[in-house]
Formats: sequence, structure tokens, C-alpha cells
Amino acid sequence: MESALGLSGYQANMMIIVFVVLGAGIAALFAALFLPQRWKLKYRMEFLFVGILLVIVWYGDKKSAEVVAAYQSEINESGVLETAAEESNGTFDREIKVIAFQWGFAFLTEEDEISRNAAVVKPGEKVLFRIFSNDVIHGLNIPAVGITAEFDPGKERDIWIRAPEEPGKYLIQCLNYCGVGHAQMKAWLVVEGAEA
Amino acid sequence: MAHAHDAQRMGETPHWQPEDVIGKMTLGTLLFSNDYRHIAIKGILTSVAMLGLGGLMALLFRTELAVPDIQLFGARPYMQLMTLHGMLMVFGFIIPFVIALNYYMIPKVLGTGELLWARGAQWSYWTLIVAAVLLVISRPDFTWTFYPPMSLRVGGDLVWMGYLAVVLVAISEFLAGAVLMRNGWEAARRLSWSKLPLMGWGAISEGILLMGSTPILGLVGVYMLTDWLEITAMFDPARGGDVMTFMFLFWFYGHPAVYLPLMPAIAVLYTLLPRFLGRPIWSYWSAVVAFSMLTVLGFIVYPHHFQPAENVSGWLQRATQILTLAIFIPSTLHVFNWIASLWYDRIPDSARRAVPFKFIIASIFFLMLGGVTAYVNAQIATDSDFVHNTYFVPAHFHAMFVGFMANMAMAGLYYLYPYFTGRMYSQALANTHFWFWQIGIFTKVTMMYYLGYVYFPRWVVDYLPLQQWAMPQMMLTGAAYLIGLGFIVMVINIMWSATRGRPADADPWALSDDAVTSGNAAQPAE
Repeated sequence: MESALGLSGYQANMMIIVFVVLGAGIAALFAALFLPQRWKLKYRMEFLFVGILLVIVWYGDKKSAEVVAAYQSEINESGVLETAAEESNGTFDREIKVIAFQWGFAFLTEEDEISRNAAVVKPGEKVLFRIFSNDVIHGLNIPAVGITAEFDPGKERDIWIRAPEEPGKYLIQCLNYCGVGHAQMKAWLVVEGAEA
Repeated sequence: MAHAHDAQRMGETPHWQPEDVIGKMTLGTLLFSNDYRHIAIKGILTSVAMLGLGGLMALLFRTELAVPDIQLFGARPYMQLMTLHGMLMVFGFIIPFVIALNYYMIPKVLGTGELLWARGAQWSYWTLIVAAVLLVISRPDFTWTFYPPMSLRVGGDLVWMGYLAVVLVAISEFLAGAVLMRNGWEAARRLSWSKLPLMGWGAISEGILLMGSTPILGLVGVYMLTDWLEITAMFDPARGGDVMTFMFLFWFYGHPAVYLPLMPAIAVLYTLLPRFLGRPIWSYWSAVVAFSMLTVLGFIVYPHHFQPAENVSGWLQRATQILTLAIFIPSTLHVFNWIASLWYDRIPDSARRAVPFKFIIASIFFLMLGGVTAYVNAQIATDSDFVHNTYFVPAHFHAMFVGFMANMAMAGLYYLYPYFTGRMYSQALANTHFWFWQIGIFTKVTMMYYLGYVYFPRWVVDYLPLQQWAMPQMMLTGAAYLIGLGFIVMVINIMWSATRGRPADADPWALSDDAVTSGNAAQPAE
């Protein structure tokens, strides 16, 4: 499934780097503890080590910036960020206004239909969510498409997703603690079947 | 490899004549003595009590989370337990504990002979006690980050005590920072910067972090109080305030706060590792550079705690990402240094048997396990996918706070134990504690990482009965109980051994190798 941020390849690379660095570190620690051979590292080895770290840092920054820029450009191209009130939704198949409140989500479609607990979309659609909180800081997370957004009260935030191809109900949840009802602040991304 | 004068740079050996310091303490000295060892022992014991209290709260809410649905608590008491757990563990246990270890060791290691401005440490202690009492009475339920405007609306009538406690915590930590800075600075002036022991560099770094960040925390506490009283409207958008003002102010303290227990714990590690190995650390200057980089970066990367928004976008967003990723460098320089120190010569058998040494090794392991994932935490793309406010975040900081810092706190406690009781702890019980903790912490951290990866949200009393969430939560709760059991074993050990333990040798940590000695010399315990 294509995630909203298109992270699958990039994310896998980052996790591989994490595991490799961790594995190397643990192996070195155990070798230092248990290998009979003692090894006096030259000081210049540390410069080499820092050089490797700099490459890793550069790579992480570069890839993350590319993914975010590509994601953001979809919104910028449709003019959402520059002219939030603009009617056109550009390259998106669907636009849904999301109102987050203590403790729930309301979804308002382009046809002014409102739902308290479900955003209804079609398989594979590119969907733009214009999110707004009218009380406290909330978060919106859709695990199935790999997107998390935190948003402050009184300020619109726009995110987009690629809806799953498989029809069904997918969890939408708040990820920012927003009061005692936080655990119940859930809704569903409903992907309609072909017959719907 | 190590220069001859590196031994001098390690400072004086942290060694005292073992004696029953604690047994000779009266209620009066316990409460008000300005002797550095009395202040440090008081801090350590109070921190152990806070660990017990905060840990008990964790066990209660972990029991609730063991299975889906609500069993024991409603949402409000659950969040009160979780909020107090976080606040007591960070402000009451881990920061004061490792600072108390520094108070104990600084006079010997830096050669000051006494803790300079011990009165400041005394005031710091009592201010923190008042803050802890106010916090417990006010029973806040809005997490330790108390984001407004939520926190201004959900607290009960006593919530003002919580905000006052925040101000008192800031004052307490500022005073502790001033004490450490004074001692570190004095040692640097006397010995010169190039010969300042690493504990001195740690004290100065910690002093800068504490004195630079806590005034802002105090300001936040005051504004929260005046906002709650509706005198001001700094942080409430409904009344003309701005949430981002809070975010920038709070996290200016909040990120350095993560380093507040880190720096003293690292300083203790740099002090004890040469003691157990019988040789200087591999690279003095590498450690100095790493301390300095962490101190500087600690102050400027805080915007990574709130997600990209219009206030944190463009160059600021990118710069924050790069600088946050760069923290990888000083952190790994420390680890590199420790492993190189372990590797460059033989590890004495006396070290391998010593429980504090085992805790040091475990700390290094968990610093890697916790630190390495900072690489994905720092990247905006992954943060916007599965990191932000899922269990991936508490996994990261529990690996650091519990796996590294709490393990280092235990290393310091077991190391100092013979010096302030005159007796050795039970080796068997200490080993039991060690393994209960390491298995428990490893299970806890890995389950938290996994849960974060499958989008388990933070701060929820109840959750959907999904297979990928329920089983790890059950294992996580089991791990918490194992850690709790280890804590009980540790408390029994230090209480029992204080009167019945084997009298400590003149040097409880004398170096020995079985191949060289008769095989039973300098057993660190039993």
C-alpha cells in the first residue's frame, strides 16, 4: 500500500541504518568485554568514525527532506497552503474538512455532508484533509496510511493521504493528549467497495 | 595510547575510608547537615523513595493496560497516576539521584575536599520536597508537558499547586546547577581547564544546562498560574493567547531537561570506569568535545518536540532536523570512548565481579539501544509517520532514562554503598536485582518500540483489542513487574546489608586478577 508520505523504501533504509549501527555498537561492546585480544585504537580512528557518522547524518537529512518536500509539493501545487480558502482542490480526488474537538472528529464533505465518526472515501483516492481544532491541541493519525499530524487550536493544517486500495474500515485516532476523553477520540476511514 | 597525564585528568580516585556514615547520622544531620556526604546520602535515599512511589504508580497503570478495556481506573485517575509517575520519576528520582552522586564524588574527585556552597544544595533539596508534596496533593492529570489550553481547562481546584510546584522545581534545579557550576568552575580555576577531571566538565555542562533552562521553566510556571487565574492569557487562544508561545518557552527547558540526568550520569561513568579498569579513559579530549557539543546542541534543538507547523517550517524546520541528527555525534563519541577504554587493555576480574561495573556495562548497552533510534526520531518524514506521540517516543526516553540513567544511578549507589555503610551489599541479591532489571528494561523498551511502530498512541487508558497491541502490552506489564521486583530486592539488600553485610575491606574495589592473585582476593562482595 502506498503510504501518504511514500515512506516504504526510505523508511526501510533508515531502519536498516538503525539496526546496523546498533548491531555494530553491541558487537563492539561485547568484543571489548569478551574477546581475549586487546585492541589499542589509534586516535585518528575516531576521526574516521566521526566521518562515517557525518555521512549517516547527511543521508538521513537529505532523504527526509526529499520525502517531505515531495509530499508538501502536492499540497503546494494545488494552492492549498498559499490560498487556503481557494475552492479548487487541484490534484486531489476528494477534499474533507476535519473538525477535531474534545473528544471526537467531525468530517465535512464537499457536498456539506457531515459525519461524526467516519470519513468515507473510495479505494486509492488522493484525499486532502483540511484539519481544524476549535478547543485544544489534537493529533490525527491514520495508521493504515502512515500519517500523523499535530495541530494547534485556531489554525488550519492540511495533510493528504492516498486511501488504501482494499475496501474496509481503517482506524483514525488522536495522538496528542487532549483531556480525559483522549483514549476515546477515534473515528474511521471508510474505504467503500466497488459496488458502493 | 593514553598520555601519562591522563591519569591526572581523571581526578583523584573516588575513594573514602569505608565507615558507617549513615548509621551515625541523627535526624538532625539527616535533615539539615551541610556535610557533603550527608546531603548526598539524603538525596540518594529520597530519590530511592521517589523511585518506589513513581514505580508503584507505574505498576498500577500498567496493570490497567495489561489487557484492553477498562478494569481498574477511569481515565482521570489513570492520567493522574501517569502524570505523577512522569513528574516524580524525572524531577524526584532520576535528576536528583545522579546529582546527589555528583555531590558525593565531586569533593574527592575534583579535590575540593568539600562541596562548595553546600547550603545551596540544601535549599535545592528542600525546595524540591515542597514541590513534590504540592504536586502529589494537586494530582495533575495533564501529563508532565501540561500543554495549554487543555491543561488550563481539565485540572481540578488544586491545580494551582501543580503550577506552583513547577516554579519550585525550576528554583530547586537552578540552585543545584549553581552548586555544580561553582564546584566545577573552582576546580577548573585551580587545576586549569586542560587538567580538569571529566566530572568537572560534567558539572560545568550540567550547571550551564540547569542555570540556562530553568528560569524559562519558572516563567512558564508563573504564566500557567496567571493564565489559570485569568490574570493573563498568554497561552490560551480562546482569550487571545498563542499555544506556540508556550511550546517555544516550555521546550526551551523541556529538551535540556532530557540532558539534566544524562550529564551527571555520564560524569559518574567517566569517574567509575577508570576506577574499575585501573587505567585512564581512552580519550580525555574526545569526552570534553562530546560534553561541550551536547551542552550546546541541548539548547538549540528543542523545536523538534513539536511537529512542523507554520512557526517551525522552512529553514528553521530543516536546521532543527540537521542539528537534532547531529546529536548522534557527541552521543556516539561518548560510547566510542567507553568501548575503546574497555578494549585497550585487560579488564580485571575484580571489575567483572563488581555489581556497579555490571550496571555500567548495561548502561552503555541501553544508551546505544535508546540513542540509535534518535536517528529516525529526528527525521521529519518518519516523525510524521509513526514516531510523533506513539509509543516510539517513550521507548526512546525509557531506554535513556531507565536503561542508561537509572542503571548508572544504581552503579553509583552500589559503588558508594560500602563507603557510607562500612559494609558490602549481598552479591547474590545485587546480581538478582541486576538481572531482573536488565531483562525487564530490555523487554519493556523493545515492546514499546514495537508498539510505537504499530502506532500505539501515548496517554490512553483503554485501547482497541488489536492483536498487535494487546500481546506486547501484556508483555510490557510483565516487564514492569519484573523491574518492580528488582527494586524490592535492591531495597531489601541495602537495608539488610547495612547491618548484616560483610564489613567492607579498606579498599572495597581493589583491583585483582584471578590468574595473578590467589583467586579469592578482593572479592567485591559476598
